[in-house]
Amino acid sequence: MRTDRATAATITLLAAVFAVYFLLPFIGLIDRALDDGRTWDLAHSEQTRKALWLSIWTSTLTVALAIAFGTPVAYLLSRARFPGKPVVDALIDLPIVLPPTVAGVALLTAFGRRGLLGKPIEEWTGETFAFTTVAVIMAQLLVATPFYVRAARSGFDSVDRRLESVAYTLGASRTKTFFRIVLPQMRPAILAGIVLCWARSMGELGATLIFAGNFEGKTQTMPLAIIQAFETSSVGLAGAIALSLVLLAIATVLLVLFRVVTSRGAFQA
Amino acid sequence: MSLAFAASLQLGRFKYEASFEAANEIVVLFGHSGAGKSVTLQLVAGLMKPASGRIAIGDSIAFDSSTGTNVRPQDRHVGYVVQELALFDHMDVSDNVAFGVPAGVDRRARVRELLDLLRIGELGSRKPATLSGGQRQRVALARALARDARVLLLDEPFSALDETLRSTLRRELLRLRAELGLTIVFVTHDLREAHLLADRLAVFDEGRILQFGPREEVFRRPYNRRVAELTGTANIFSATVTETGTDAIGLDIGGAKFSTAAPSFPVVPGSAVDVAIRSDRVNLRRPGEIANAFQAILVEEFAFGTSHGLHFEPETAGPKVEVEIASRPYEVLGVATNPNWLIELPADDLHVMRAT
Repeated sequence: MRTDRATAATITLLAAVFAVYFLLPFIGLIDRALDDGRTWDLAHSEQTRKALWLSIWTSTLTVALAIAFGTPVAYLLSRARFPGKPVVDALIDLPIVLPPTVAGVALLTAFGRRGLLGKPIEEWTGETFAFTTVAVIMAQLLVATPFYVRAARSGFDSVDRRLESVAYTLGASRTKTFFRIVLPQMRPAILAGIVLCWARSMGELGATLIFAGNFEGKTQTMPLAIIQAFETSSVGLAGAIALSLVLLAIATVLLVLFRVVTSRGAFQA
Repeated sequence: MSLAFAASLQLGRFKYEASFEAANEIVVLFGHSGAGKSVTLQLVAGLMKPASGRIAIGDSIAFDSSTGTNVRPQDRHVGYVVQELALFDHMDVSDNVAFGVPAGVDRRARVRELLDLLRIGELGSRKPATLSGGQRQRVALARALARDARVLLLDEPFSALDETLRSTLRRELLRLRAELGLTIVFVTHDLREAHLLADRLAVFDEGRILQFGPREEVFRRPYNRRVAELTGTANIFSATVTETGTDAIGLDIGGAKFSTAAPSFPVVPGSAVDVAIRSDRVNLRRPGEIANAFQAILVEEFAFGTSHGLHFEPETAGPKVEVEIASRPYEVLGVATNPNWLIELPADDLHVMRAT
């Protein structure tokens, strides 16, 4: 009895300590932001607006590209048998476990001005990817797509193959079966993948900084704007706080929306 | 609609080879799991491809290895119901059924007709997850019939249901077969279900059909010891042929003499054979001059509610025998008060098989 009670108390205490540690930074952020009279103006600055807009549209485009290219990859990883599949499977995870800065360096060596593919492209067209908005999307794509592919793959894995078999015997083509049966069945997984991918793109810093640089209006996404505000701006921390607050608000809304959508999905299924 | 099936294939170490046919009847594929029953349905449906063989559904050839014909599952027009039913959970009942209705047919009318046929007309707007087990079965059957399939492949569809519901659905299936003139291939490992539903029975074992024939023939005249075991024959004896005649032969079972009809295969005096008799075909007799009988003692008994299972051992000569007797004759005969009986193995029911 006594040891049981002690165990329960220990568990509660550990959880409470963690909860405080977890919440305190966010409380601190909000507290400082509310205290500081400049927050509202800083959050509304031209630079913030540009950075936020760039972050949102590049992340959204990244998600669209991840869906277009990642879904077939996820499908093949789940359904097809081919030589070297375990290797491909592991490689997909590489950007998840690698520091994003490494991804940035790697992108530079491939698509940079002197890169493997970047050099011939520049010689041929006179154009280069590095330090452009395209580079922002490329960095996000490399770092964030694996999250979508993982989620979509587990979604494909979770669909009962017999549903497809039965659909075929009911006269449905493979295409019809895919769109009417398989995709709806894996909707929660796809949604999770989209949210994870979008959030990761929004938060992408390291690879973007190295491959795309930090140019206001062109490659300066929100995380880069926060770094710049923190390091160089005359207002110092206040600017970083204001920008962080904007991202925190977006992340919170996104999480709540995601919960609502997926729980409704679960109810329907 | 008729179905003619012959196929063989090799799946890793699993060798499969089977053939049977069905026409406006229920053919039950019976056997343990892994015996090849479900594979058979998938081959018929076109979800698996045989290495060789020929599958004809009605007048159309679905598969023929000699001509390279292999019609895809979409065009085979068979209804397929799997054990877990595979209902589309994200669609309501009507949409599940409508999924199979061919283009050009009035969908709403067809769905209504099918739901009414299966007596679930009021469930159209419900999601499968909110239905009971029996209702889900009916949805799966309605969907399988949506393409006007006249061949239904049912893979242990009732196995997850309780006994009352199963018997209701079996009756329903018999009604559908009669109303629609269906050919049904029904997979089960449940002996009672096989007995209740089968017009003809195919006994599967290790990828092969050991015996295919009318239900009673398979149950009463198993091809060999394995079929007898699989179909629940309690009494299987090793015996020696003592004499042979044109119609009848004499047998020695455990030192006692019996006679029975001559088997379809040749035997000579001294031939070793296996002999089977179902426990419900054995008679308990009072002492007297009775052929094909031996004196035995009741050593063990079990009550099954409607019947009793009795285990007898021979007094001097004869085999150990299991007898199943209904409760009423059990009481009338006074089995409980008298352990000594003359056990009669009627010649008509004593079935001789090749020794294995």
